[in-house]
Amino acid sequence: MGILAFLAIIMLLERAYTCKKQNKPFFNFKDYHFFEKNWDKVRLPGTLLLLVLYFPAMNLIGFLPASIIFIFLLNVLFVGLNQLASIPVAFKTKQFWSNHDFRSLLISLIISVVSSTLIWFLFGRMFKITLP
Amino acid sequence: MEVFSFGIIHLVMSFVGVVIGIIFGSLPGMTATMAIAIFLPLTYAYDLITSLFLLLGLYVGGISGGLIPAILINIPGTPSSICTGFDGFPMAKRGEGLRALRIGITASLVGGLISLVCLWFFTPPLARVAINFSAIEKFLIIVFALTIIAALSKGSMIKGVFAGFMGVFISLIGQFADNNRMRMVPDLFRVDLRMGFNLLPVLIGLFALVQIFQEAEKGMKEEHQQIDMNHQTKKFSFKDFKGQTFNLIRSGIIGTFVGVLPGVGGSAASLLSYSQAKSMSKHPEKFGTGCVDGLVASEGANNGLTGGALIPLLSLGIPGDSTTAVLIGAFMLQGIQVGPLFITNNPAIWNTILVAMGIANLFMYIVMFYPIKHIVKVINFPKTRIYPVIILLCTVGSYATQNGNMFDVWAMLFFGLVGYVLAKFKFSIPSFLIGFILGRDLEKYFVDSIKGSGGDLMTFFNRPIGNVIWVLIVISLLYSFYDEHRTKKQARKDAKR
Repeated sequence: MGILAFLAIIMLLERAYTCKKQNKPFFNFKDYHFFEKNWDKVRLPGTLLLLVLYFPAMNLIGFLPASIIFIFLLNVLFVGLNQLASIPVAFKTKQFWSNHDFRSLLISLIISVVSSTLIWFLFGRMFKITLP
Repeated sequence: MEVFSFGIIHLVMSFVGVVIGIIFGSLPGMTATMAIAIFLPLTYAYDLITSLFLLLGLYVGGISGGLIPAILINIPGTPSSICTGFDGFPMAKRGEGLRALRIGITASLVGGLISLVCLWFFTPPLARVAINFSAIEKFLIIVFALTIIAALSKGSMIKGVFAGFMGVFISLIGQFADNNRMRMVPDLFRVDLRMGFNLLPVLIGLFALVQIFQEAEKGMKEEHQQIDMNHQTKKFSFKDFKGQTFNLIRSGIIGTFVGVLPGVGGSAASLLSYSQAKSMSKHPEKFGTGCVDGLVASEGANNGLTGGALIPLLSLGIPGDSTTAVLIGAFMLQGIQVGPLFITNNPAIWNTILVAMGIANLFMYIVMFYPIKHIVKVINFPKTRIYPVIILLCTVGSYATQNGNMFDVWAMLFFGLVGYVLAKFKFSIPSFLIGFILGRDLEKYFVDSIKGSGGDLMTFFNRPIGNVIWVLIVISLLYSFYDEHRTKKQARKDAKR
């Protein structure tokens, strides 16, 4: 702890020296941005939220159903939420696979079902590894 | 002499490891470290020998796969391929992509084999020296490893050291073995954190989740580029290596040497080898325009790293890079202690490692050289589809660490966030991990040294080998200051231009 405090003080002194030399304020909250410019305000918080919900969901409904649901949702989140708008359109026009966005949703579903089942079978059944 | 034995299952595991490693290496943003971290839990189901074939296959494949996007789209798949694109990409642009890939793959094989010879040659004598180490020398060696982290945290030396000691600090959470008292543990986590944080969730969080968070922040943008492999202006021939023998050997040795230094990483091996090749070339002006010498230098060095990083791991118990830090986890899971006594106590495993490395390099060559035209399609895999599956694998892996503990899954998420914040403030994540891995030993050897001397701190200066390590520590620190000063001076010069 002492070493960390010592190193933290050195870092602060180093910054103070650099700021003084470059004529910049020590605390510059105005120009400081934690996130990068134009950061994705949906995908990053969405990923965190889904992870926080996914872990307890495994205890509540079991590994396989929770994984299928959340891997599907993560797929949808990462590819883009705008695909969801294709659901009513696809059902209305009865064009499922030919509708690009709806096809993407179906691919998400296939990936989530196949990957979750495969991992459940390989790890849980074949290798007898304890699953959530 | 105890010999090793391996069967078809080991070859299959090595092959699978190499193929998966190549896929991970060729996808920008995914690394060999990530591949090993994710597949480590699978080794619960196997004995150590089988696991080693899989993990070393992942390691060699992961490092080698990085050349594909570096050459074809000028984005290094792994940090160790950073210089590959300098000359590989211009070659691809003028219709020599296939030739560049095959030159890179062949150089990778040679680099990997050179490092394997170095591993075989240098590890046993180093371990024999290290057997005579007392707790004092072991403590000093770990301090030396931490100062090297500082030396290589380019332009942010203090931040590198800080991250390393933060890793040490976190590793000390839990029960103190000497008096069985709990340290820095809130009452709520007294049971879960009794033995501290488990290595696997920490490294999965640091190397897999951080990457996913960073990509999510950027919006998971896919950078698809059409790659035309059908119209090649110049074909590969082994004659391309005419006059490259010295370059190949030098690059392999540089890669191995850089690999030996803890915490340095593949990008340094690639950069150092490339700059050496350029400075010793009769035509330095051709570098960066599609010159075979540059490509050979980068690829020979980054695969040279694989064997080099295993030397300190197997002889001293200190990981050479973040990937070998993860490999320590594999040994720990099987209850095997790496360090000076490793080769003496486990000759069969030592021989297996050498064979597994050799086989992985050969598989890498076979898998990549001939079907490379088809393998390159891998780089078009959308990340948006792969990351959810990786999250699933990470969760299963962390949960399985202690045979089913939800706390480890939350720990993985916690360290994913810690790593994400560390990266935001430009603290080195590999330094943090190396500090975390070495932290407990650092404390143990310090306490043992102090106990043995009756509390006299001068004991750290009384042994000849210890004093040699002190000299190395001082040299390492002086070099760090010099290098930091030089880097900043250069940055100021560049800013003025």
